[in-house]
Amino acid sequence: MMLPVAQLPHLEHVLQTVSVLESVVLSSFGPEGGQVLFTRDTGQAMLSRSGTKILTALRLENPLARMIVASVLNHSTVTGDGSKTFILLLASLLRMIHATACKEPNVSHTYNPRKAAVASTARHLAKRLLEFALEDLDDLIAVGVVPYGCCLPREDFTLKTRPPKSIPCVQKLLASFFHSRLGQTHCDFFSHLTCELLDNWKLKNDHPSVALQFINDNLPTLHTPVSGFPISCSRLIEGQVIHRDFATSCIRSDKPPVAAVILTGCLQPTLLRAGEVLELGCGDQQTAENSRKERSIVQFSAWAEKSLECAIANLQSVGVSVILSAVKQSAAVLALAAQAKICIVECVSEDELSLFAHLSGAKPVADCWMIEPDNIATLTFCRPILLGAHRYVHVAFHDSDKRPVVKPCSLIICGAGEGQTDQYACALHDAIRMLLSTWEPTGMTASKRTLQCNKSKSSIAEKQIPNSTSSQRCLSMPGCVVPAGGIFEFLLHHALLQHGHSCSASDETDMDILAVSQLLANALLSVPRQIYSHSPRCFLQTQTRLLRLVQSHSQRSGFADKLEQDTVLKECEDTSECTLDEGYRACIYIKILTCHQRRLCLTQASSPSAVNTICF
Amino acid sequence: MSRFVRKAPSVCTDRPLNNSDVSTKLRSLKQLLTSCLGPTGRLKHVQNNIGGHVVTTSSSSVLLTSVTSSQPIIDLISSSILHHVSRFSDCGLFAAVLCLSLIQEAKQSGVSRQVNKHLLSLCTSYLQHEHCGCRVPVDLSSTQDLITLSLSVVSSKPACVLTEAEALHVSRLAVRAFLLTVPCGGPGPVTLGRTLSVGVEGASVLHSEVFPGLLVEVRDVFCLRTAETLRSDPLRVVLFSTSLAGDLCELGDGIIQVHPGVDTDSQILDQLLELCECVIRDGVKLFVCQKVVHPVLQQYLRRHGVMVMERVGLSLMEPLALLTGALPVATLHATIPAKAYGTVKEVSVKEFGSKTMLHLEPAGESAICTMTLCHRNETMLSELKVVCQQTEHVLRLTLKEPSALLGGGCTETHLAAHIRHQSVQEVAESASALGCSQTEYLLGVEGFCRSLEAVAAALHHDGGDSFMDLTHAHHWTRPADAMTENMEDNSALCCGCGMVQSGPTVDMKWTHLNTEHPEFSPAALLKDRAVQPRVLDSFTAKLNALQVAVETANLVLDVRFVIQDTN
Repeated sequence: MMLPVAQLPHLEHVLQTVSVLESVVLSSFGPEGGQVLFTRDTGQAMLSRSGTKILTALRLENPLARMIVASVLNHSTVTGDGSKTFILLLASLLRMIHATACKEPNVSHTYNPRKAAVASTARHLAKRLLEFALEDLDDLIAVGVVPYGCCLPREDFTLKTRPPKSIPCVQKLLASFFHSRLGQTHCDFFSHLTCELLDNWKLKNDHPSVALQFINDNLPTLHTPVSGFPISCSRLIEGQVIHRDFATSCIRSDKPPVAAVILTGCLQPTLLRAGEVLELGCGDQQTAENSRKERSIVQFSAWAEKSLECAIANLQSVGVSVILSAVKQSAAVLALAAQAKICIVECVSEDELSLFAHLSGAKPVADCWMIEPDNIATLTFCRPILLGAHRYVHVAFHDSDKRPVVKPCSLIICGAGEGQTDQYACALHDAIRMLLSTWEPTGMTASKRTLQCNKSKSSIAEKQIPNSTSSQRCLSMPGCVVPAGGIFEFLLHHALLQHGHSCSASDETDMDILAVSQLLANALLSVPRQIYSHSPRCFLQTQTRLLRLVQSHSQRSGFADKLEQDTVLKECEDTSECTLDEGYRACIYIKILTCHQRRLCLTQASSPSAVNTICF
Repeated sequence: MSRFVRKAPSVCTDRPLNNSDVSTKLRSLKQLLTSCLGPTGRLKHVQNNIGGHVVTTSSSSVLLTSVTSSQPIIDLISSSILHHVSRFSDCGLFAAVLCLSLIQEAKQSGVSRQVNKHLLSLCTSYLQHEHCGCRVPVDLSSTQDLITLSLSVVSSKPACVLTEAEALHVSRLAVRAFLLTVPCGGPGPVTLGRTLSVGVEGASVLHSEVFPGLLVEVRDVFCLRTAETLRSDPLRVVLFSTSLAGDLCELGDGIIQVHPGVDTDSQILDQLLELCECVIRDGVKLFVCQKVVHPVLQQYLRRHGVMVMERVGLSLMEPLALLTGALPVATLHATIPAKAYGTVKEVSVKEFGSKTMLHLEPAGESAICTMTLCHRNETMLSELKVVCQQTEHVLRLTLKEPSALLGGGCTETHLAAHIRHQSVQEVAESASALGCSQTEYLLGVEGFCRSLEAVAAALHHDGGDSFMDLTHAHHWTRPADAMTENMEDNSALCCGCGMVQSGPTVDMKWTHLNTEHPEFSPAALLKDRAVQPRVLDSFTAKLNALQVAVETANLVLDVRFVIQDTN
């Protein structure tokens, strides 16, 4: 069958596609944005304000749109945020490029050549833009934006006490993140809860990112969604919740500590392995001349039962009263364990067992005959807990010096329905990822580089690799945050304009830099324009206030007049949407540009097969 | 069979609440649910489109599960309400009607969702406040309040078709069953027992009963015959959770070679007989097995005067273990330890209509009881069973939080009056804190209170008018056939919950619900009143319903875009 020959992606078509995506994303962008309701293919209604979720739910067919969505996904898996801004900036940049290309004086007026000329100018512009972004943008951000930001205090993540009553900086950051994810009504409650979670998970003498990484990896097992309750019922509980019920009726022993083992195998021994042969005789008729004993099936099963009884007795002798088993145990095991007052939890998932092992310091054991003291975990309690419709097992760990975490705790996320709890959990996960990327910008650049190497065959992406040292230099300051409300875009806009002027003044020949930086600067302003879409006056006020600050600031040195700067920035925050960390914003620009560059290459591709290869 | 299926692109709707189709659907859902509210609510027939079984009901859980809509917004609302109902078993229709009217009100006035959230926090803090005028403490030492509470639940389900006397009987039974499941153990955490229910079709509702212990349906004639001969007290019980049919045990994947002439079946059977012998020697009189017992064993046991109950099933095993105190046995070779045996006080045969049941009475104190529910036909019986379960749940919630709210719409009107009063007092602070103008704020308050009052007014379906008195802000109704237009002229009326009575001696003023009236601070009732409330609602359930309704309404109002997956 012949593939339908698609119309060549012309710049206008590209613009059209991106505009459609933009209009979808805009409905949930900014402080006035709302929720997007979508149905899964199972028919379940889900809610989200996350850009990635919305874009994937669209199930697009247009190859171009799909490619854009794929790059958004790549971007947000690393940063956990910024997908809506990605689309917004992309649309704005494309519009700017299109407008500039059409205005170019060297475009002739006959129709067909004109089209080609516009395309080639656009392509040229985009190429310059990418080069500019890779070479100069990081330095510009370092000079023009970073001095106005502030650093997340390390105390928010470490054990050091911070001054009482002050709202930690992290909480502000989280509040603005949740504002953009869950809406205004729940952002305070949820950011407070997340901060408490972080507080409890502080590690002894470790870099904050280690604790964050740990939460990020274990979040699915650390939280329990409960539907049917209002969000205000969400809370932290001590210890861990194992998402299984007791297989035996739980005999409650109230005296702590409770000894527990993690068992990865079956307690009942496998009697006959494959290939083994069991010979059955008549039982007690034992022939004297033939020394071989003939056993009956009854004797054999009696022997099997006896060995199981010994195993249980062995467990009893080491004082074990709870068994967390990775597999299903037989009915005989359950009955014998109940008689020996041992509780069994069956079919516990691997992730939960490994978290339990990590927190308790006990090693899992496959065979109950090999139990050593370091296989036994001591718990302060192990009891059933009823959460929503399910009964789970709730364990709390005994304090020990070996354990790296101060206060392990789990999170119960309540919501009116499954759609809501799911949304809260996703937002929480993204928030943790966002904090992590704020603390670990170097790791991010590395992953970004690999992504681009893998993905794109265009020569530009390869050229970029040696340049990445400069981006590392800029981003090596961990925990840098910029106040919300488009401050980042305003500052960068200003810095870009300054840079463009200084370049064109020093070097008359290089007009491209001026054009490119002006283009980028104007495109940037579309983001704050959307943030303040409900009141354009606010937009102008914030911009003028910032410009005044920058001018007064330029005479003095970087962090010296922090006080004054803070007051101005606080005013800005009143009208702000979200505090965004600076690191990943830089990432957005670079990624957008590569994406864009590839799209312009598409416009030049002359055969549909080429389009197909690039798209897939 | 796995085949790659091309995914169709999704269907998008911008600003769904402005869509006329969505508005119509929301309105008709509201009409549907409103007409079901309360003791005089109208029943609905539910039938699927291929003409299956017809269900007659007025309960939100059945209605909302059968309402499947192509509109995800409707799905979102109904899933929220259903989750609430599955946790609290009560106030589902209240939550649904409140949520839908909040959406309608807010759509008209266009106020911000922050106002609703603020008003919700005012409501919850008032309801939890000790001077709250619509909350009454539940006295757990007497059954009066508990019966009122369960009567309110039972009578709010008209699909049970109960007369007043029958409703009272059922609610008394529910309270009795509930009290039987509360163990009178010492201090420390208490584990509530279980109530099992058995339905008997065809008998009068008044023949329903509650028994301590378990009623197990038996069809085996031999079993019943032995039951009459058992006289020792208490009876020793053994409980097997494994099959005693004489099959081979699990051996693994290996190969089994059997010598010629060896009869493994009889060997196993001999061994089982040995086990039975041991059981008989230990003085067991009742032999219960979850699975099948070999007929030879059954006969052997019966000959020795032991009663055998086989195939009782997994669901009965846990109550049986709790009742008898026995530990289930799954080993066939080891000697059964003495502590694995349990006891029952007495076994007797009871007849209910066509059913013959074996009644196992607990020897000591046990928190297991069985309710036999009788009703005229199957549909009503199934509804009655559900109602009894819900009542039990509501009573259990009361144990955690021993208070209740006044029913009959009085809580809603009182709360609305209180919110109106409080927000007028604090309008300046609240408006500035929420970042909106005072007019906007008051508009939001008006919408919120109107929605609350709409729920109270929706309790009546017979064309009567709803009123509110201007002293306590309770809810009153004037029947449609009343002689006079004014409430003042009616003598000796009573408010929805029965706490306030009008009469010639009481000076009281009324206003129509949802009409303009001067705001006032509703007075709380005197604490030491002789009058008992006639209708009470579960505090925990209603509070949660209120929160879920407002939260869901806020969410729905926040939805800007709908993406529907068509695959």
